[in-house]
Amino acid sequence: MDNNKFVEVKNLRKVYDNGHEAIKNVSFSVKKGDLVCLLGPSGCGKTTILNILAGLLNPTEGDILFNGKSVVKVAPKDRHIGYVFQNYALYPHMTVLQNVMFPLIVGANKKSKAEAKKIATKYMELTQITELADQKPGNLSGGQQQRVAIARALVQEPQILLMDEPLSNLDARLRLKIREEIRSLVKSVGITTLFVTHDQEEALSIGDKIILFNDGVIQQDDLGQNFYLEPNNYFVANFVGNPVIDNFKITKTANELKSSQFTINLADLEQSRFKREIPDGEYILSVRPENIVPDPEGLFETKVDDIELIGRERILKFTFDNQQVRSLINLETPIKRGDQIKLKMRFNRVFLFTPEGERVY
Amino acid sequence: MKTNQKKAWFFLAPTIIFVTLFSIYPILRAFGMSFQSGSLIDLRWTGFSNYQYIFKDPEFWLAIKNTVLYAIISVPVGLAISIMLAWIIFDKVKHKSFFETTFFMPYVTSTIAIGIVFRYIFNGDYGMLNFVLRCLHLHAPDWIDDPAMSLTTIIIFGIWSSLAFNIVILMGALRNIDPNFYTIADMFGASGRDKFWRITMPELVPTITFLLTMNVIGAFKIYTSVYALFNGQAGVGNSGTTAVFYIYNKFQIVGTPGVAMAATVVLFLIILFATFLQRKMMKKIGEY
Repeated sequence: MDNNKFVEVKNLRKVYDNGHEAIKNVSFSVKKGDLVCLLGPSGCGKTTILNILAGLLNPTEGDILFNGKSVVKVAPKDRHIGYVFQNYALYPHMTVLQNVMFPLIVGANKKSKAEAKKIATKYMELTQITELADQKPGNLSGGQQQRVAIARALVQEPQILLMDEPLSNLDARLRLKIREEIRSLVKSVGITTLFVTHDQEEALSIGDKIILFNDGVIQQDDLGQNFYLEPNNYFVANFVGNPVIDNFKITKTANELKSSQFTINLADLEQSRFKREIPDGEYILSVRPENIVPDPEGLFETKVDDIELIGRERILKFTFDNQQVRSLINLETPIKRGDQIKLKMRFNRVFLFTPEGERVY
Repeated sequence: MKTNQKKAWFFLAPTIIFVTLFSIYPILRAFGMSFQSGSLIDLRWTGFSNYQYIFKDPEFWLAIKNTVLYAIISVPVGLAISIMLAWIIFDKVKHKSFFETTFFMPYVTSTIAIGIVFRYIFNGDYGMLNFVLRCLHLHAPDWIDDPAMSLTTIIIFGIWSSLAFNIVILMGALRNIDPNFYTIADMFGASGRDKFWRITMPELVPTITFLLTMNVIGAFKIYTSVYALFNGQAGVGNSGTTAVFYIYNKFQIVGTPGVAMAATVVLFLIILFATFLQRKMMKKIGEY
């Protein structure tokens, strides 16, 4: 048994009946006890993967192994998984206790009422919903319903917990609270969890690792901070990060990177960060807003169009090649709208992409 | 606020006038007439004499007995069959809309026309039903012409004709159940029985309550199907008479509107009581 590959997905492919190829040759593995986020924009295939893992959909090609054993031909109920739906799917006619007990009192391995109640009570204590036992789901808040759904998913003591956008029905403040609760809960139970979300911030904050999808392909499978510091490609760089990354069109010549308003000497870049030899031509230079800052010795001069305050920081907005560009600065920096300022880039923090999106620096 | 209220009365007026004229007034008038005797153009107040008359009339008691029996047999049986069929169509059948349309057809067809068709089906000598029964070597009774069979025939017909409406409403209710309820139950390993009794039935309770109320009220007002089945009679020797048949007979044929109205008031009280009773019962079974 390899605990590093508790869940293993091999060359998974899914083509829907209408011919849409939702997943194209996806492979990844999940460590036992990890909380992994499947992140991506809507329609990227992340929910399809979750449903294939759950057995609600059959893969067109490829294999899925739980704990070293292939489960592709195993019925959902025998996969030892818990599933939390986006809308929770709590039974409205049952009380909270009855909902949580439900998995234990149905099917071939049903337990006695007393035993089921004991187990249900244990998980209701864990999710802190004991005092809601006799309420109907309709009377509960979104966060409470969420906890009931999780308790119900856990009572059969599954080995893997699958959650499909479990926070999307909650308001912003509650989302922050519940996502921490979910993390500490699954960690205390020690269950391996796959968590689907489209919210990068959510993924960054709770995932042990993140798998970012787009167009049915894994874009990056990595620790959270690496999406930020070392994005695999142009898509990752632009998907992760708030405010979003700044992109500049540039042309590479023998020893320079030239844009419409500035020129960078190639010798100023860190040579070790080049992924490969690059030919002359068109490239995209991307830099996170906190790495492009006002400086009297700056690379180019521009006018501040607008300033947005986001708590501790301010975002300065400029126009460059008819596109908006942002710089993240400290709240105290004395710059006003309409000021003419010079900007500098931290060259060891910029990225260079080919027009196809491949990262070369 | 004041002007608003005046305006409100203005907008409510058409409804109030119509409801008063065609619902409230007839109810009060019927109630009043039940204490009057004589023909419609010459009514006199005679106290409780109409009530004394009907309570002594064996035909009235037969009508009430038939109606109550009809209601307490045809409604639960009809509803149970409807639930079963709706569930089968919903769960197992492809091309649901085709079957739904087919099942709904009897509801939009005239009861008289259906009744005439059923007269042929039920015919003791050449009817389709008895043909089938004889093929299976079963007893083939005389459905139409045997007084002892009248009520049974009416009940069978009643059950059959209640299916259409019930199934369509139940299908709608089934469709409204979140499919994830079943997906998740499957994941927990729930059997088909578990799913039906623990999810489907409880989810249908509000709809069943509604249908039960409608069906019970409809059953107590049974008239047309009897009329159609027995060619305008209430069965051989009035054996299949019902409350409404009795009322109609006393009003139009015998010409004693007071007696008819007394019977109407009694029927009204029975329906009120039955509705109240089953409401209480369904509330106990559980609502959200």
